[in-house]
Amino acid sequence: MNSNSKPILEVNGVSKSFGGVEALREGSLNLFPGEVLAIVGANGAGKSTLIKIIAGVLTPDRGHISIRGTKITRQDHSVGFIRQMGVEVVYQDLAIVPNMTAPYNLFLGRIPKKFGIFVDVKQMQAKTREVLAELKVETVQSLKRPISEMSGGQQQSIAIGRAIAWGKEIVILDEPTAALGPNETQQVERVINEIRKRNTATILISHNLDQVFRLADRLVVVHQGHTSKEFLRNEVTIDELVKAITTG
Amino acid sequence: MNGNGPQKHILGTKDKPKSMMNQLSLPSWDSPEGRVWISRIRDNVPFIAITLVILLFWFISGDRFMSVRNWTFIAQQTPVLLLLAFAQLLVVTTGSIDISVGSNLGFSAYMAALGMLWFGELGFLVGIFSAVFIGVLNGTIFSLFKISSFVTTLAMLIIVRAVLVIVSDGRSIYVSDQPMSNSNITSIEAKWLLDLGQFPQILYFTVIVAVLLWVVYEKTVFGQQLKALGGNEKVLRLTGISVNWFKIQVFAAAGFMVGLASFINLARSGAATVQAGEMLELDAIAAVALGGTVLTGGYGSVLKTVVGALTLTIVANGLTIAGVPPSWSRIARGLLLITAIAISLNRKQIDVVK
Ligand SMILES: Nc1ncnc2c1ncn2[C@@H]1O[C@H](COP(=O)(O)OP(=O)(O)O)[C@@H](O)[C@H]1O
Ligand SMILES: [Mg+2]
Repeated sequence: MNSNSKPILEVNGVSKSFGGVEALREGSLNLFPGEVLAIVGANGAGKSTLIKIIAGVLTPDRGHISIRGTKITRQDHSVGFIRQMGVEVVYQDLAIVPNMTAPYNLFLGRIPKKFGIFVDVKQMQAKTREVLAELKVETVQSLKRPISEMSGGQQQSIAIGRAIAWGKEIVILDEPTAALGPNETQQVERVINEIRKRNTATILISHNLDQVFRLADRLVVVHQGHTSKEFLRNEVTIDELVKAITTG
Repeated sequence: MNGNGPQKHILGTKDKPKSMMNQLSLPSWDSPEGRVWISRIRDNVPFIAITLVILLFWFISGDRFMSVRNWTFIAQQTPVLLLLAFAQLLVVTTGSIDISVGSNLGFSAYMAALGMLWFGELGFLVGIFSAVFIGVLNGTIFSLFKISSFVTTLAMLIIVRAVLVIVSDGRSIYVSDQPMSNSNITSIEAKWLLDLGQFPQILYFTVIVAVLLWVVYEKTVFGQQLKALGGNEKVLRLTGISVNWFKIQVFAAAGFMVGLASFINLARSGAATVQAGEMLELDAIAAVALGGTVLTGGYGSVLKTVVGALTLTIVANGLTIAGVPPSWSRIARGLLLITAIAISLNRKQIDVVK
C-alpha cells in the first residue's frame, strides 16, 4: 500500500437492512491503488452485502461510496455505472459461461465486431493470449474449445483476467478459490500477485486465513454488520485476527 | 430451464468426483483415449444415424427407395420441416422451447394468402410479418412476465390456431397458376409461388436459407449470444447484457424462420388451410433433437439439424415405401428419437432431469 496516495475507493458509513435484519451497519473502508485489501468475518457478518453495495448490486439505505474522489449518488448507484467507473467483480461460481471459449469469456459483454455483426475471433484470441501471458497462466489447451474443459484454476484466471484486460483499476474477488483444489488455488494466487504489480486495487474476500496472510496488505474485519477493526498484515497475528473475527 | 445444470461444474469441482468415477466405470471407457472416442461418437450420432437409416431402407426396398424420383420427393418433403426445425434450433440453443411453431405456420401461411389476395404478389410479406409478430409476442410474454417458454408457447399454440379458425371461418385459400372462375373458391393466381414449391427451386431456396443461418449461427455476435444464453444466463445478466431484449430478438428470429416455412408450405401445398402445420411442432423438435442439439441449451448445429430433419423425413418415407402402416411408422419414429437422444446425451454432465 502507498499510504500517501489518495484512496481510489472510499466506503462511507453504508448501512443496509433486509426487512428487520440490519445486514450492514455503518460500514466504512478505504482502498488504495496497488494494494490487496482482505475483508474477513464470520458467516453472515455482512461481507457479501458490503461487496454487493460496492459493486452496485445493492443500493445502501444510508451512506455512500466514492470512486477516485467522486461521490456516487443514489441515482447513479447501479451495476452499469459502477462498472463504468472501473470496478469489476469476480464471483466465486458465477463468473464463467462454461460452454463458451476462453476468449469469449474474457470478452464477455464486449465482443469485438467486424462489419457490425460478425465476431472478430482473431482479435479475441490474440488478446486472450496476451492477457494469459501477462498473468503468467501457462498451458492453456485450445482457445477454440469450451472453457469448461480447462482446469478450474485456468477458468478463474480468465475471470480475473477479464477484469484487468479492460484496465479496471478496482477488482473485487469474492471467495475466488473457494471451489478450487490446492494447485489451482496456487495458480489463482499467482494471478492475484501479478495484478497487484499492475497497480490494480484488489478487494479479496476469503475464508482461508492462511491465504489472507499470504496475499493481503491490509485486512478489514466485519463483525455483525460493522467494519469493526482494521489491520496491516505485518502488524497482526493469526490469533489476534481470529479473536477480532469472533468477538468484534 | 435455463442452464442451471452445468453451472455446478464450472469451477474445478469435477476434480473430486473423478476418482469416484474411476471406480465405477469400465477402465477402458474412462481412459483418456476411451473418452475421446466416446465423445467423437457422440458428436457424430446424427451422421451415423442417417447413414444407417439410408442403408437400412436401401436394403429393405432397394431401387424403390434409392431412386432419383424418391430422392426428389424427399428433397421436396424436407424443406418445410427443416425451416421449422431451424426456428426451433434458435430457441432451443438458448435453453428455451417454442412449441407454437406449427400453429404459427398455419396462421402465417393464411395471412400470406390473405395479403396476396388484398395487395397482390408482395402481399405474402404480410405472412412473414405475422410470423415475426407472434415470435415477438412469445418472447415478450416469456421474458417480461417470466412465464416459462413451454407454457407461453403452449398457450400461443392454442390461441393462434383458434384465431386462424376465426379469421378463415374454416375456408381455405388456394393458389393457382391460372385465373379461376369458380366464385365458390377463394383463390390467388401466383404461378411463381407454385413453381417455388417444386424441385429444384424449393431446394435452392432452402439451401440458401441454411447457409445464411449457418453464418448467423456460427459467425455472428447474435449466434454466439444464443449459445452463451443457453450456457449461463446469470453471468450474461451480470455483465450488463440486456437478456430480456435479447430473448425477444431470439423469438422474433424464430418467428421469421416460421414465416419462411409458412411461405414454402403455401408454395408446396398450394393452399392455406386451417389445419396447416398441425403437429408439425413435434416433428420440428424431434428434428432438432435428432440433430444432436441438447434441449437444455448451450450447444447446437445448423448442419446437424439439416441431417436431423432429413433423417426424420427419410424414415417416414422409407417406412411408407416398405408398406408399414402409418401408426407403426409413428411408433418407429418415436423410438428412433429416444434412441438418438439416449446415445448423444453425456449423462455425466447431468445432475437433475425434469
Ligand atoms: N437478500 C437478503 N435478504 C434477507 N437477508 C439477507 C439478504 N442478504 C443477506 N441477508 C442477511 O444479512 C446478513 C449478512 O449476510 P451476508 O452479507 O451474506 O454475510 P457474509 O457474506 O458475511 O456471510 C445475514 O444475516 C444474512 O442472512
Ligand atoms: Mg458471503
